[in-house]
Parts: sequence; structure tokens; C-alpha cells
Amino acid sequence: MTLETEYMPDADRIMSVSLGPQHPGAGHFRIKLWLDGDYVVRAEPDAGYVHRGEEKMGEYRNYTQNVPHLERPVILDSSNILLPYALGVDELMSNKIPARAQYLRVIMSETNRIISHMYFLAIQGLFLGHTTLITWCMGDRDFWIDFAERIAGARVTFAYIIPGGVRNDIPSFAIDKGLKLCDWFDKRMDEYEKIFFQNPMVHQRSDGIGVLSREDAIAYGATGTVARASGLAVDVRKDEPYSSYDDFEFKTPVMTQGDVYARSYVALLDMREAVKIIRQALKRLPPGPVRLKLGPQPRVPAGEVYSRTEGARGEMSYYIVSDGSPRPYRLKIGVPSAKNLRVLPVLLKNVHIADIPPIYWGLNYWPVEADR
Amino acid sequence: MVVAQQQKSGAFQVLVGKIDDVLQYAIGDPMRYLANWGRLYSLWPVHLETACCSVEIGAAAGSRFDMERFGALEAFGSLRQCDLLIVMGTVTRKLAPRLKLVYDQMAEPKWVIAMGACSITGGLYFDSYNVLRGIDDVIPVDVYVPGCPPRAEAFLQGLVLLQEKIRRAPSLSGR
Ligand code: SF4
Repeated sequence: MTLETEYMPDADRIMSVSLGPQHPGAGHFRIKLWLDGDYVVRAEPDAGYVHRGEEKMGEYRNYTQNVPHLERPVILDSSNILLPYALGVDELMSNKIPARAQYLRVIMSETNRIISHMYFLAIQGLFLGHTTLITWCMGDRDFWIDFAERIAGARVTFAYIIPGGVRNDIPSFAIDKGLKLCDWFDKRMDEYEKIFFQNPMVHQRSDGIGVLSREDAIAYGATGTVARASGLAVDVRKDEPYSSYDDFEFKTPVMTQGDVYARSYVALLDMREAVKIIRQALKRLPPGPVRLKLGPQPRVPAGEVYSRTEGARGEMSYYIVSDGSPRPYRLKIGVPSAKNLRVLPVLLKNVHIADIPPIYWGLNYWPVEADR
Repeated sequence: MVVAQQQKSGAFQVLVGKIDDVLQYAIGDPMRYLANWGRLYSLWPVHLETACCSVEIGAAAGSRFDMERFGALEAFGSLRQCDLLIVMGTVTRKLAPRLKLVYDQMAEPKWVIAMGACSITGGLYFDSYNVLRGIDDVIPVDVYVPGCPPRAEAFLQGLVLLQEKIRRAPSLSGR
């Protein structure tokens, strides 16, 4: 554990401690803490350990070359970060995306939502001292990765959703496998509820911890699971349907407690809805082509576009400015982790040290994504 | 060893290889063999995530790939107990001094696995302004595991290669 200990001149009781970047409770990320005994007086997040200059790199790679490096920061949720990029470029180029490609985009991004939430729940189980959940979630996550691998051919970085459609068609055997997986996973999630969410130990550790009120969620611009756990029904899939999301029936899960428990439970409810969407999409997959012919170096007409989608953690957005050349003039990436990080200093006030990891991870914060 | 070069059936060759190992390492220098054999199956990796490759470490430590059966278990305790540093991807200018600090704080003997294209050459981010082009300038590396990200199986292979290296370490200190 890397500890920087120094006493503040004015208050002898207050001790400042640095949590991370090498700490089991905070990977590639540091939180500066001011402690009074076991209580946190003040917390200051120190991000930027994984800043790789994605936005600048986007300016000297063309629209096709941008696809693989854009998905790396959000590696858990890689299709959901590519979808708004593809939507934005499609809008600039006035591409008409075939119906089958739109459905495949939906299938892939919902699969990724499950993969991301499973990782989230696994680590949340670890931080709450529930070792069964981490082994279950990590194991079951691999079945979804297998399903995605059958479609896209890679384990976590799919590069499947590209401007002009999707990279390749879904093989027919993957459809049957996917439907079977959906049925099995529905039953499996009931077991998760029993072993984790109805567990008195988990309730004791997470009920009323790190409460974010609805007003604060609005004031700090929280998004995704964090906002929905605080009673804010935000969901871009409903608010601004894209990629034929309006064809499917699903609900936006909302909870009102706004604590660590609610943030974990919303993730499970999200997965239930995602399974529903995948099942509908697989059953009603329309025939037709999956990709437009764009050429290796597509020229995008001058203009600017703002596109957004609902990723697993929240709203993913792009602001693309094109000057008519094969490369973007400016590529601004908006990610949910960066938005939810603003909430962290608010939540880490007057909490015990032991509650820091669940609160921090409960925000579904992924440092690589926030730093870009 | 002359015996090992004979073309025999696979199982026989494995047996000969094992006997060969024992002859060379155990009888030749029993203390060194014993010390390194003890280190071999009790590797404790540091929990230092540097970038996106950590997702595949999560998978490798998870229940399907189960890194523990190879004798490596992620240590959530102190740095001083650890002897393996897995660099999981991109090292930026801000992280590089911390990486060096973590490496210096670990007790000898210690080994380093560079995981992912980023930690080997800079990978996809070779031309980014904030990324080191490989970590060799910062700390010495024992095993490179290429991939972006490497599959969990590839990482496990890297682990087995490292164990092979430790088994054949020429000195008692394990290096
Ligand atoms: S090698 Fe690939 S997956 Fe690993 S850190 Fe670099 S970009 Fe990320």
C-alpha cells in the first residue's frame, strides 16, 4: 500500500492519506483522503493515470482507423462506445443503415451491457466481502463473452459496430445458442437475487451507505445506473430511440434509495431488461445486408454532429466535427465515468474507511474510460 | 543430455525431460533447486492495474481460467509480500514514476510480466503524447505476453513460461 502521510498544520487530528494508485480498492486511480480517525473528512479524486490522448489521436487517424482505438478505453463495454461513433458518422454521411445491421447493433450492445454489469457485480461482491458473487459472475460472464465471440470473433474488443453497419453477419448457430443462453440466464439471475441481493449480510453492508439524493443526482449531472438508483428515470434508449430501439419492449429500471445497494440492484434489473431485448431481437432478426460499402477511406461531408447512446454505465456521447477530409477535425468523447466521478467527493463525506471501496465501485467508475 | 535427443514417444520424452531436470538441477545443486521450486508455485502478483488489460487478468483470475491452479493468487495485502509485478497495459507518463516506486518497494526476488502490446511497445498508442513506448526503460521485464488484450489463456501461458524461467534460474537468489 502506498501511503503518503503528512499532518495538516492547523488540525492535529486530521491525517491525509493517499489511496491508490496501487491499492486493491482503487485500481489505476488515486483518492486523496483526509481522515479523522476512521472517518473521511474530505476526499479528492486524482484521475488521469491512464490518459492516453484518445481525442487527439482521433484527429490523425481516418474514420475507419479510429474504430479499434476508440473502444479500448471502455473495454468492458466496447460496443456501446462504438455505437454513438458509428451513429454520428452515419448521420454525417447520411447513411441508411440496413434493418438487420440495426438489430445486430442492438444485440451486440445489449450483450456488452450484460458483460459489463457482470464485471461490475463481480467486483462489487468482492468489495462487499461476498466471495461467491465474484466467482459466479466471472464464470457466467464468460458465457456471454462466448456468445459475443461467436458473433464478432474476439473476446473483449470486438470492433464489431462500424460506420455503415456491422462488420459481419451473425452465424445461424449463434442465434440458437443466444436464445438458449437467454433462457438459462433468466433463471440464473433469480439465483443471484437469492444469494446476494436477499442476503442479510449484503443488506447490512450496503443499505444506506453512500446515499445520493435525487436533487444531488440532478445537480451533479449523474447518469446511468447511478442516476437511476437515485430515482431519476434517464435512459437514452427511451428518451431518444436510436438504432430501432423503439421496436422492442423493455422498461427502464428505477430505484429510489440511492445507496450502494440500489446501485448494485439496478445493474441486475438492467440485465433482465437486456436479456428481454436480446431475445426479441434474435427472434425477429430481419433478413438483408448488414453493411454498406464505404471504401477504405470514407470522406465525410463537412458538418458537425452530436450523437449519444445508453451504455452500461450511462450516457455515451460523441461530438464530431468534420471538415470534409478523411479525418475528423475534432472528436470529443463524452463518457459516463467522467460524469459520475463528480459525485464521488460528495458521497465520500463522513463515511468509514471500509466503506470507500463499495462506494467508489458502486459508481461503476472505470478509470480508463474517464481518463480516455 | 544425449538421452533427451532420441526420438521416442511423447510420454517417454516428457519422462526423460523430467528425469533430466531432476538430474541437472536437483542433484547438481539441491539447495538452489529447492529454493526456486518453492518460489515457483507461490507467486503473488501485485495489484497494480495500469490500463485496460486488467479486464483479462480479472477473467484469468475468475472461475473459468482460475489462475490459482497455476500457483498464482492475487495478493490484496502488502506490496512487501509480493514477488510478481504484472504490468497490465499502457503506462503513461503520470504512472511511470509510480510503477518504478512499486517495483522498488517489492522485496527480492521479484519478476515482471509485461502484458499487452502497450506495455511491450506502446501498442495502439505508440504515437500518443502521453504514453511510454514499452516499459523496458522503467523496469526490467522477464516475460512478454503479446496481444491487445492477450486472451486469458495467453496470459496463463506467460505465467507458465515465467515459472519455467524461475525453475532454471542459475542462482539461489532466484534471478
Ligand atoms: S494492449 Fe490493448 S488492451 Fe492492453 S492496455 Fe494496451 S490498448 Fe489496452
